[in-house]
Amino acid sequence: MNDLPMIRVVDVHKRFGTLEVLKGVSFDVHRGSVVSMIGASGSGKSTLLRCINHLEVPSAGDIFIEGESLCFRGAADGARKPRSLAEINRIRRDLGIVFQQFNLWPHMTVLGNVTEAPQRVRGMSRKDAIALGEACLARVHLRDKAHEYPARLSGGQQQRVAIARALAMQPKVMLFDEPTSSLDPELTDEVLAVMRELADDGTTMIVVTHEMGFAKDVSDQVMFLHNGLIEEEGPPAQVFGAPRSERLRQFISKYVQ
Amino acid sequence: MNNWHRLVWNQRDALFAGLQVTVEVCFISFAFAVLGGLVLCLVRMYVRPLRPVATVLIEFFRATPILVQLLWVNYAWPELFGWPTTFYQAACTALALQSSGYLAETFRGGIEAIPRGQREAAFSVGMSPLLVFWRIILPQVLLSSAPAIVNQFTVIVKSSTLVSVITVQDLMFQSQKIVNIAYEPIEILTATAAMYIAFIYVVSMAGKLLADRLRRSYGIAVR
Amino acid sequence: MSDSLREILDLQLFWEFRTVLLRGLAVNFYVFAAAAVLALILGLGAALLRNSRFSPLRWLGALHVEVFRNAPDYVMVVWVHFVLPLLIGAVLHSRFEFDPFVSAMIALGFVYSGYFAETFRAGIEAIPAGHLEAARSLGMGEGLILRRIILPQVVRSMLPESINQFISLFKATTIVSLIAVPDLMYQVSMITQQQMRPLPLYTGAAITYFVIVLVAGSSLRVLADRWRAKILA
Repeated sequence: MNDLPMIRVVDVHKRFGTLEVLKGVSFDVHRGSVVSMIGASGSGKSTLLRCINHLEVPSAGDIFIEGESLCFRGAADGARKPRSLAEINRIRRDLGIVFQQFNLWPHMTVLGNVTEAPQRVRGMSRKDAIALGEACLARVHLRDKAHEYPARLSGGQQQRVAIARALAMQPKVMLFDEPTSSLDPELTDEVLAVMRELADDGTTMIVVTHEMGFAKDVSDQVMFLHNGLIEEEGPPAQVFGAPRSERLRQFISKYVQ
Repeated sequence: MNNWHRLVWNQRDALFAGLQVTVEVCFISFAFAVLGGLVLCLVRMYVRPLRPVATVLIEFFRATPILVQLLWVNYAWPELFGWPTTFYQAACTALALQSSGYLAETFRGGIEAIPRGQREAAFSVGMSPLLVFWRIILPQVLLSSAPAIVNQFTVIVKSSTLVSVITVQDLMFQSQKIVNIAYEPIEILTATAAMYIAFIYVVSMAGKLLADRLRRSYGIAVR
Repeated sequence: MSDSLREILDLQLFWEFRTVLLRGLAVNFYVFAAAAVLALILGLGAALLRNSRFSPLRWLGALHVEVFRNAPDYVMVVWVHFVLPLLIGAVLHSRFEFDPFVSAMIALGFVYSGYFAETFRAGIEAIPAGHLEAARSLGMGEGLILRRIILPQVVRSMLPESINQFISLFKATTIVSLIAVPDLMYQVSMITQQQMRPLPLYTGAAITYFVIVLVAGSSLRVLADRWRAKILA
């Protein structure tokens, strides 16, 4: 395994007004590993995930993507300056994110949604983008829906399209922000199945989720967040089988039947 | 019914010329109204230092009656700005200004109605704000505003009847000229009224069909 | 340009003629009030016709709405003032004339009845069928249902849209200056011909309308919201 961690989070704090949501979080994610973040609502897991692709800006601390700082760039005189939007966008291309609300663009077809960024951001030709898009849609088993509009798809299908859209940018890491929380129970399985396949293919993934089954079976590493701090972390066998903190024990007992 | 033949049919060339002027004025004003509305809306929402200016302008154009705007642009602006130089320009300007105020508000509602998540998804794949606006926001705003945009076109057509007051030779102007010469208003004015009503009816029906078809083709997606 | 700026700010001219101008503005309000009453009555009538059980009545209501909603204000004012009296005179075999005030009232009343009819229709259709079924099964007659169930709900739900239409109607009353009704714009034109200084006068008129519409519009909307909030969730 590569020595350099794919993602390194260093002492990240995040404050909204007077409310401090993240109180100093640090961890590493290595290439090819799957990290699950679990915790109660308000524990800061989504905020942490959104900091990683700069949808939220950390109030303190830094995040390194393959050794490159996301928030700052070194200037000639050695000082650190905040990154410009253009630079952040460049880094964002390597981070794919799947949202709880899917956020597909309703005025484009499924294929249009998937090929938009490869064409307009990476500058791919239309032909290449379509080929890539269809391959990604095949990966989520939705190639036959390429010319439908999002409104005609079920929630589970829309979320899979969202995954394909993120994959089309060929990111180094895939981020998942509670991807199944908005879905009816019957539809979550198809999305989780796709996520499992991605994990089996060696995709580096960070998943914020309430699906304990997924966290237990698929992750290499589980982090339990509470009140803006990592309360406990480790391999799933340890976190679920032998939880050290009382809070974690209570949390698990609520979710795992 | 000889009167109809004499007063209306025989004058059809003049009337048709007037109708041409009306249609021209309406389309030019409409184009500038859509552009102006978009500019005003964007300035109001995104250019912070100019926000109060844009807001006042929008409210001003919406609050003042079209006749007042026509007269003001036509008589006061040349002294103030040295422009417009023709009645035709003044007419198009006033009509465009009035509708741009309404459209600016319509566009603002449309932009605000787009869920924030769509922007976030676009940023997350690395799209620049300009690209996000051009490919994600603007198409949806135009689609959802389509009925209101069509409606403003009919408003412009109805308001255009007043440009005869500043001697632009539209359909109303030509009709009134005939009345002044012939002193027999019944046939010509009734025909003119009927022409306007028919024209506006057709335009609004066609516009509604176009807008509905456009929106339906995207599925139940667009509101 | 600074000369012109000074010209505009010379609202002293506006102030000098304020009594005449205010009287003109009052005329606008009178025309507005008269036309509004007519528009409301006709509009309600047309909306009820469109909801009737007899298709010829429904068709009549629809025709009324389509004709008048698509009719330009100015064209109708001119037609009512110059053509209608001749038609009536032909029927009565005598010379007939409208006072321009009356022409304005009739023309604007009919045109805006088209808009109000649509607004009322939307309001009537929005009433859940269940309310009407409940009323009928309690034995309430149609007239009673109209007065106590339909109308109150329609007024409440359609108030914001109606306020916009009233404001449009008020703005439309400026047209009457073109058939020699002594309203604000008429007085402004008269004074301009005398004084040959269009800048302060037309700018002043524009600002006057701006202020009135803004103030009246926002206060009406605030009052309407407060009144509606008592019942609607």
